[in-house]
Amino acid sequence: MSESLVLVPLLLDDPISSLQVALRVFVEGLGKGAVFFTIAVGLTLIFGLMGVLNFAHGAWGMLGAYLGGLVMVFVITGGMGPLTVVLIFFAAIALVFAVLTVTGAVMEIKLMRPIYDRTPMYQIILTFGVALILEELIRITTLTFGQHPEVPWRAAMDTLPDVLGHRYNILGAEIRGLYFFEIALGVVLVLAVYLFLTRTLYGLYIRAGSEDPEMVQALGINVRQAFTVVFGIGMGLAAVGGVLLMWDPLWGPTAHLNIDILLYAFVVVIIGGLGSFKGTVVAAFIVGMADSIATYVFHQGYIDHSGLPEITVFGLLVLMLILRPKGLFGVEEVGGH
Amino acid sequence: MAILSVEDVHTYYGQSHVLQGVSLEVEPGEIIALIGRNGVGKTTTLRTILQLTPPRTGQVIFKGENVTDRPTYEVASMGMGWVPEERRMFSYLTVEENLRVAVPKGVDPAPRLEYAYELFADLDEFRYKDAGDLSGGQQQMLAIARGMIGDNDLLLVDEPSEGLAPMIVDDVVDALRAASEDTTMVIVEQNFSLAMDLADRFYLLDQGQVVESCSTEGMTADDERIRRYLSA
Repeated sequence: MSESLVLVPLLLDDPISSLQVALRVFVEGLGKGAVFFTIAVGLTLIFGLMGVLNFAHGAWGMLGAYLGGLVMVFVITGGMGPLTVVLIFFAAIALVFAVLTVTGAVMEIKLMRPIYDRTPMYQIILTFGVALILEELIRITTLTFGQHPEVPWRAAMDTLPDVLGHRYNILGAEIRGLYFFEIALGVVLVLAVYLFLTRTLYGLYIRAGSEDPEMVQALGINVRQAFTVVFGIGMGLAAVGGVLLMWDPLWGPTAHLNIDILLYAFVVVIIGGLGSFKGTVVAAFIVGMADSIATYVFHQGYIDHSGLPEITVFGLLVLMLILRPKGLFGVEEVGGH
Repeated sequence: MAILSVEDVHTYYGQSHVLQGVSLEVEPGEIIALIGRNGVGKTTTLRTILQLTPPRTGQVIFKGENVTDRPTYEVASMGMGWVPEERRMFSYLTVEENLRVAVPKGVDPAPRLEYAYELFADLDEFRYKDAGDLSGGQQQMLAIARGMIGDNDLLLVDEPSEGLAPMIVDDVVDALRAASEDTTMVIVEQNFSLAMDLADRFYLLDQGQVVESCSTEGMTADDERIRRYLSA
């Protein structure tokens, strides 16, 4: 049964509760969309400027989740109020962003630069190899400390303050506080990246370089340096996405965040159009809504298959690849080196 | 002292030996035309000068410094501008943003932009329009303006009249003349009479080599030396 067929009788039966359900599904969709934007925006920035398909993107998200978790677990103590916890969470985001941006930049300089002159397959294999190494290192480390890598790290997730864990009654709809937090962070991040791209000189160079890096060089701009900065920032943003997922009960710090983040990030950037910031924003919203609606349908028991949200999201991807392979806002060509 | 010396450069695309020992000199204030049939290496010569396609042997001396194998952005930062074939606008950026990219870092962009708008009134009118929406002639104006508003002592101009209506070509010639008041130029141009009209001297290329070089004064397409190399 399709989703629309399922929702129609519900809407007709009881309009008030149906609107409350719709509000809850909408807000949860926005929250998920904010998370999807956060994990995908770095991938699209890197591809847009450099033409690099970065398969290590998910690994940086995974590292972000664990590093953010480490900060929270070690700093948070029992008596802290929710505001203090949230402030420490922001400090964790800033720290993780800084550390993993620098690490990403080092990776670009040491590993990516030597292979820019080779075919894109080298970049794919190298970045995927880095991702696998990091995932295995996380598995070894977590097992060493008695934590199963496939099971979300409970201690980190439990640092979520009650104020965000609670469900709030909004116009009769029960909505978890974390979704509002994710939406707020997502909006701040969209604005921050948008202002960076449109209001700063570096953003201008990045947008110009996405179209024609050779021409940008010929205007006296060091495109290689821009590559390093964008690669670092893109990875740093993936890590911020990871810190956000650390608290999310649907995700949590695990070793397979590496692949999960990568897959969802690719779905978003392909639907939005590889390299398009606007496309990433719109696609994250669409994928978030689709996931939220499918999750609702699953929880109602209309379709008894826990993989329904994933099937819906990847179905959207397949549909886009068939109907419009360049994505919603994609261009025929993007930058490169 | 010459502002630019190209000394016996050999440039390849893979196995293809495109420039086979090109040498040329450009004095400050000159306009030099590179002429020749399609595929003789004119555009490659400009790309080699700018180190976009560095030579395998030979050297390029710009303002007394050997710039061979230096990154293009460094060579451009030394004061070498490029108006490429087919304009190569940043089509998703506005006219103003296209110009802004060309203003050197640390320089107040406002006077530079005003200078460009004074020279090209069309650009002023469309300053907030995407460059991709401009006509061919307007894009060529923008490409020339982009080359002029940097701190460039030498401008490399590739096929400025290509694909433009004759009336628009007149405007482009006027723009290049205006640019030449402040900047030395090397122009690649298929349109022989236009090249002779603009340039002080020319280099005639054939099969990756300079085969003739002299003043443009009194030179016509009927000259036997020219006809031999320009006729198909």
